[in-house]
Amino acid sequence: MKTLSRRQTLLLGGGLVVVAGGGVGARFLLRKRYAPSAYDDLLVQLDDRDAAAQIGETVLASVEDFEPATMAARLRQRIARRPLSVVSVEDAGAARLVEAGGWVLPETLGLICALAAKAAA
Amino acid sequence: MAAFIDARTVPSGTVIDADLVLIGGGPVSISMALALANTRLRVVLLESGGMTFEAKTQALYEGPKTGAPYLTLEASRLRYLGGSSNHWGGWCRPLDAIDFEARSWLAYSGWPITKKDIDRYFVKAHSLCEAGTLLYDRAADYAAALGAPVPLASGGVTTRFFQFSKTRDGILPTHFGERYAPELKKVPHLSVYLQANVTRLGLDKSGSKIAEIDVATLNGKKFKVRPKAAVLATGAIESARLLLASNDVRSAGVGNSHDMVGRFFADHPTPRDSATIILFDGRLAPYYGAAQPVNGAIVRAGFFPSEAYRRAHDVMASSVTVDSKAELDDFGRAAVAATANALDVNASHAVAYSLGCGMEITPDPERRFTLDSERDALGMPKAKLHMKIADADFDRLRLTLKELGRQLLAARIGMIKLNQTGRADWLASLDWGNHHMGTARMSADPKTGVVDANLKVHSVANLYVAGSAVFPTYGAANPTVNLLALALRLADHLKGVLK
Repeated sequence: MKTLSRRQTLLLGGGLVVVAGGGVGARFLLRKRYAPSAYDDLLVQLDDRDAAAQIGETVLASVEDFEPATMAARLRQRIARRPLSVVSVEDAGAARLVEAGGWVLPETLGLICALAAKAAA
Repeated sequence: MAAFIDARTVPSGTVIDADLVLIGGGPVSISMALALANTRLRVVLLESGGMTFEAKTQALYEGPKTGAPYLTLEASRLRYLGGSSNHWGGWCRPLDAIDFEARSWLAYSGWPITKKDIDRYFVKAHSLCEAGTLLYDRAADYAAALGAPVPLASGGVTTRFFQFSKTRDGILPTHFGERYAPELKKVPHLSVYLQANVTRLGLDKSGSKIAEIDVATLNGKKFKVRPKAAVLATGAIESARLLLASNDVRSAGVGNSHDMVGRFFADHPTPRDSATIILFDGRLAPYYGAAQPVNGAIVRAGFFPSEAYRRAHDVMASSVTVDSKAELDDFGRAAVAATANALDVNASHAVAYSLGCGMEITPDPERRFTLDSERDALGMPKAKLHMKIADADFDRLRLTLKELGRQLLAARIGMIKLNQTGRADWLASLDWGNHHMGTARMSADPKTGVVDANLKVHSVANLYVAGSAVFPTYGAANPTVNLLALALRLADHLKGVLK
């Protein structure tokens, strides 16, 4: 079996670092960017902000007097740094639900989607 | 041996004496005739049709309708021996105890009997339907090999089971006429008259007792039956029509001194595609989507509001069944993905299903039958329906569906989309269970109903009404097995009264 020389090993290792770094960089560079909002800490919980914004538009149609900053503060207090999954189950348990185009959603998720809609507006 | 007699061969002017006349040849009368087989009672059963469908006889059901959209009046029933069992779907399920209770939030609710009063008749009723082992909500225990019920979080909706009537190699439900004709023919003292249309319930001069019953055939023969007692079991439309049209002694008709006959008509609306259910892992036991054989019965599961939930939230009875797989649009896929992400579950195998519903409607005295000015081929006034359905009934069903969605989310197993929002949506999706109920409702007080707890017409000593016409409220269970239990109870009662 042919063994790699030290020079070949260094070149191969360096090449792998460049390829991997390039991949990470490209992902960073190509990632969709959004204008900063005052509730990015909440929006980061969403997997797909564009889709969430669409859902949020329909939530907004059914929520009166939606004031984003007040809502964001209320949601931060409710979430209290817990995982969204925990809060979502808690919402369902407490019958805190919203409808979005007929879809019955945990209220916190629906309201974060509404914030995404506001942020996208 | 019982005789099957073609009434068209009975000479006009004939008078037949009987202890009991059973008017109508559907499951009620057939079951009662069989239940009374071991008595000495001379029973006459009068059936409008023959042994098979005949268009001229069926046309006797025709009548006009106004108000909310509804089926044509001749569509739901069948006018030959076996009655509407000749085209039923075979779905069976007993009513719940709450269905019999007076509920403060539900006007006109409350039967004069409880479920316990008819519980002991369900085994026989079930047997007549050939619906197999009595399992119902115990079916899940025997169906484990097929998969577990949807593991909903605790709440107002639970999985419960229907059972199905079966015959002919388990394919079709029991058609009572065809199925039980050989047994009826063995019953001593029973005479079954086919092609025998009752056209008048003749009160005596005092107006308090049935003295004679007029029978006519489509070929012009007319004769009478003089019974000691009579049971009117012709379905909710025809029973009301006969009571109202028999107005020669009492101008308002028989049993109608409080203007209650024909009122409170009901059916079970069955809106299609009421909701879409998503199960994140895509797993659903087969007994939700189609009837499955389980331990000597054929069962199918549905989602039902529990009695406790109905009491706590003032909702009507309903049943929700899984109909077929559904496709989601982009918005739906986004909603599912966002929710699964929020719940931290994998939805890559999620499956969507369309849900159908059967729903109870609010008792309404204005949803009623009256007599039309037009007459049928026998000279009887046609029945005219004014149909109504309240927005509140749709709202209550929506509340139950939303509760199901809540329980799916709380269990992190799925979610729901409510597909109807306004009245127009609901009406566009509406179908009906073909379950005619009301019109001769049971009541303790003669002012609020037509028959008493024993199904006797309040103001008439020897006339009874049987069938779902007597249901004061309707539940969401299919009526057949329940009306048979009531009919068997009535047969027991008549054994005592007529001995």
